[in-house]
Amino acid sequence: MEFFGLSLAQLLPLFGAAGASIVVLYILKLRRRQVPVPFARLWQRVLVERPTSALFQHLKRILSLLLQLIILALLVFALADPRFKGISRQGRNLVVLMDGSASMQGTDVPTGRAGVARESVRRMIREMGSADRMLLAQMDGEITALSPLTDDVAALESALREYAPRDTGLDFSRAMRFSLDALRGLERTEVIIVGDGGYGEARDSAGLVRIPEGTTLRHVAIGRTGRNVGISAFSARRYPLDKTRYEVLVELQNFGTRREEIELSLYADDAPLEVTRMALEPGRSQQRVLRDQSGANQTLEARIRLADQSRDDLPADDRAYATLPARHRSRVLIAGPANLYVQAALLLDEYIESEECTLAEAPARLRAGHFDLVILDGPTVALPEGTPALYLHPEGADSPLVADTTGPSQGLMARPTFDRIESRHPLMRFMSDLEDTNVGVATRYRLAEGDRAVASSAQGPLVVVGERRGGRFVAVTFDLRASDLPLRVSWPVLVINTVDWIHGEDPAYLSSFKTGESWRIPVAVGSRRVEIESPDGRRSSAPVIEGRAVFRGMRAGFYRVHSGDDVQLVAGNIADMSESQLAPRPFAQLNGTPATSPVAGRVGVRRELWLYLLGGAIAIALIEWLTYHRRVTV
Amino acid sequence: MGLTDFFKRTAQALAPEQELFDEEFQRKLDYLAVISRRLFAGRLRAERRTKKTGSGIEFADHREYSAGDDLRYLDWKVFGRSERMLLKLFEEEEDLSIYVLLDCSESMAFGTPSKFDHGRKLAAALAYVGLANLDRVALVAISTKVDKTLPTTRGKGRIFKIFDFLRSVRTGGTTALADAARMFTAQQKRRGIAIVITDLYDPEGFERGINAIRYRKFEPIVVHLIDPREADPGARGDVTLVDVETGESREITLTDGMVRAYREAHLSWRKEIDDFCTSRRVPYVAADVTEPFEDQVLRLFRRLAVVE
Repeated sequence: MEFFGLSLAQLLPLFGAAGASIVVLYILKLRRRQVPVPFARLWQRVLVERPTSALFQHLKRILSLLLQLIILALLVFALADPRFKGISRQGRNLVVLMDGSASMQGTDVPTGRAGVARESVRRMIREMGSADRMLLAQMDGEITALSPLTDDVAALESALREYAPRDTGLDFSRAMRFSLDALRGLERTEVIIVGDGGYGEARDSAGLVRIPEGTTLRHVAIGRTGRNVGISAFSARRYPLDKTRYEVLVELQNFGTRREEIELSLYADDAPLEVTRMALEPGRSQQRVLRDQSGANQTLEARIRLADQSRDDLPADDRAYATLPARHRSRVLIAGPANLYVQAALLLDEYIESEECTLAEAPARLRAGHFDLVILDGPTVALPEGTPALYLHPEGADSPLVADTTGPSQGLMARPTFDRIESRHPLMRFMSDLEDTNVGVATRYRLAEGDRAVASSAQGPLVVVGERRGGRFVAVTFDLRASDLPLRVSWPVLVINTVDWIHGEDPAYLSSFKTGESWRIPVAVGSRRVEIESPDGRRSSAPVIEGRAVFRGMRAGFYRVHSGDDVQLVAGNIADMSESQLAPRPFAQLNGTPATSPVAGRVGVRRELWLYLLGGAIAIALIEWLTYHRRVTV
Repeated sequence: MGLTDFFKRTAQALAPEQELFDEEFQRKLDYLAVISRRLFAGRLRAERRTKKTGSGIEFADHREYSAGDDLRYLDWKVFGRSERMLLKLFEEEEDLSIYVLLDCSESMAFGTPSKFDHGRKLAAALAYVGLANLDRVALVAISTKVDKTLPTTRGKGRIFKIFDFLRSVRTGGTTALADAARMFTAQQKRRGIAIVITDLYDPEGFERGINAIRYRKFEPIVVHLIDPREADPGARGDVTLVDVETGESREITLTDGMVRAYREAHLSWRKEIDDFCTSRRVPYVAADVTEPFEDQVLRLFRRLAVVE
C-alpha cells in the first residue's frame, strides 16, 4: 500500500485531535430536552412498570461512539489517498499535444478540425488505463498546459473544453521540449500529437529535439482536404508628402489544387472601398497594390471569398487587417525673414499650421502659445527650454552648434557631397535624390556629445540631430541658398520628416503585427502598463518597456491599446503561409523516432481507494442516522 | 426584548380574553338557554326547580309565550298595549343554588387551546342556563384553596358580571381539590349543585375532593376536562419530563413503546374516575377540549336527565 495524500505524521495528530473531541463530547452529559407534562404522577405509573435498563443504554451509547470513531478513521485514512502498491508504476504517463494553430480552424471535416481533435482526445481519455495519467496541452505560437498530469477523467474532460485553436502559427520545437520536460524522470512515457501534420522541423537553438529512449511517439492525423485561398500579405502606408492618401499591398495565394475565382473586398474604417475579382491558378500567388487611396482614417480590412459564393476550408485566412498611423496637427513657427521655400514645404502637409514672426519676437511667441517646432534660418536666438527647432545654417551666440575653425579651411567645406546618409534614421527616409544634391559651401561644425550626423560628406556633417536644453533639434550645416536642395524632392521630405520626428511619429510604422509573436507597440510617454482589448473583447494588461507595450497577440483582428486616455488601434494577422496549407501532411517520424497510432490503456479497477473509504464512512453515518432516529442507539 | 415585542406579546395575551365571550359565544348561550327552558316545563317541576310561572308571588321577569304555556300567566296589560304575548315569571320561595367550581391550577393552562379557556366557556354556559331559568348561580375559582368567588346572583342580566369574573381569574399553583372543597363548603351555607370543572390532576387524588363536597350535602357534578394531546408528549429520545404544576422532573428515554404504555395508563386513569363517580352516583362528564363546548353542555344536561 502506498500513500499519495497526507503523510502519517500529519494524519496521526489529525485523528488524535478529532477523536479526542468526539470522545469528550460523548463523555459530556447530554443536555436533555425538557418536555413539560401536566401531571407527572401518571408517568410514574409507566416508569414503575418499565424498569430502566441503564446498562443496555450505556452499551448503546458506547456503540454509537464506536461508530463515530470508525467514521473518523475512514475519513482520515481517505485523506492519506492510499493505493495498492505497484499500480501507480504500471500506468502510462501521457502528454497529449493538441495542435491549436490557425490551420486547425479548418472546416474540411464535419464539426471542424478542432472538433475532430477534441473528440479524438476525449476518446483517448476514456480509454485510459486504470493506472494511466495524462497531461493535456495546446500548442500554437506558444505552449499552454490545459491540465496537470492526472488520472482524473473529469478534470481532463473539463480541461479539454478549454482547447480552442488560435490565429497563430506553430512553435513545434517548443511544444516538444515542453512535453519531454514534463515526462522527464517518469517511466512508460508517451507523447501523443493530435494535429494536421506539417509541424516543421523540431529544432531550436539547443539543436534537434530528439525523443529519448523509452518514450513512445504517437500521432493522430486530423484533416482531409485542402481547398483554400488566403491572404498571404496585407499592409498599408501613408504617403510621406500627402498623409491623407495611402497605398495598400495585398497578396493572395491559392493553396488548393484547382483554379479559383476570387472576389477581393477592401474596407476602410468598415466602409467598402474597393471590390475586385481575380483568378488564381493552383499554388500561385498574386499581388495587388492599390495606389493613391483615400478615405480611410485608421483601419483597413481585406476580405476574400470565392466568386461562386462557396466557402473555402479555412475562413481564418480570408480576412486581413491593417491600421494607418494616426494623424496629428502640428504648429510650426518660422522665426526670421520671410522664407518662401520653407513656407512652400510646410504647405504640402495639410496637418501642419505655420505662423511667422521676427527673430526678436520668437521667444515671446513660443512662451505664449504651444508650437511643435520653430524654424530658424540663419541667425539664432535663445529659445525657451524644451523647444524643438530646425536650424538652417545656424549663426550667432545661440546656435546649438559651434563652427570648427581649426585647420586650413577655416571651418568651411567647399562643394561637399552627401557621401554618407543614415537612411534608417527617421529623418532620412524617402530621401531619393539627396545624394545628388549640390552644395556650394557648408560650415564645419563641431559636434557635441550626443549629437549625430545623419548626413555628411567626407569633409564634415551636413545634417545634424541632437538635443539642447530638453528640446530636439535638427541642423542643416549649409545655407539653402547656396545649394539646390530647395529644388529637390528631398527638401520638403526633410522638413516633414523633421516635424514627424519631433512628434515621435515613426515613418517605419507597422500597419499590422504577426500573431504568435511578441509585439512592441509604441505608446504614450510615461505609461508603465497598458490595457489591451483583444478582437474577441477580452481585456488584459501588458508592461511598457522602453516606451513600447510588449504583448503577444494570438488572434487576428484589431486590438485596442488603452494607455491612460489615449486609445491606439493595432492590427494582427496570421501571416503564416504554412498555416494556410490545409492539405494533410504526413507525420511519420520525428528526428528518427517513428510516430505510431495511439493504443488504449489497460482497463482495471479504479485505484482511488479514498472513494471507497468515503463511501464506507457515508454508509456508516447513514446507519448511525437511521438507528438514532429509530431510537436504537439512544 | 424590545418595547415593540413587549406590546405585541401583551396584545397577544389579552386578545383571547376579549374574544373568549364574544357575540358568537353569547348567541350559543341563548340557544342553550332556550333548549333547556323548553324542557324544564315538562320535567322535574316542583321537585328541585325554583322557577315556575305562577307558583311564586314575586314578579321576576317576562318571556315570550310559547305553545303549551298556562294562559293564566299571560300579562294581559302588556298584550293590551302592545299586542305582544308575554308570560309573567315569578320566583318561588325555595329556589336552587348552582355553584360552578372552576379549577385554576397551572395544569389547566396546558395546551393550546388550553383546558382553562374551555373550562371558562363551559362555566359561563352553565351559569347562563341557570340564570336564564332564574336559578341562583355562584362561581368559585379553586386550586389548593378557594382563590376567588363570585357571590350568588340571579337574573339573565348578571351574565356579564360572570363574564367579567371569568376573565379576571388566572391559572397558577398546584391542585388540592380536597382542601379547596372543604373551604368552599365552609363558605357556602346554602346547599345546592356543585359543578366541578377540572382536569382532576390532583397529586393527593381526586377522590378526596369529590367526597369532601358530597359529605357536606352538596350534589357534585364532575366535568372532567380532557385534552387528548396530553396522551402523547410528541418528543422522543432522551428527555426530561417536567411537571408544570410542581416543577418535579424526571429523566427518561422516551420511546414509542413507552408512549403507548402512557396512553394506556391515561385511559385506565380515566376509567378509574368514571368508575368512582358511577359508584357514588356522581354525574360525570368527560369534556374533550377539542370538541365544541355547547355539545358538552347538552351532553351534561342529558346526563342530568334534563335534556333528551
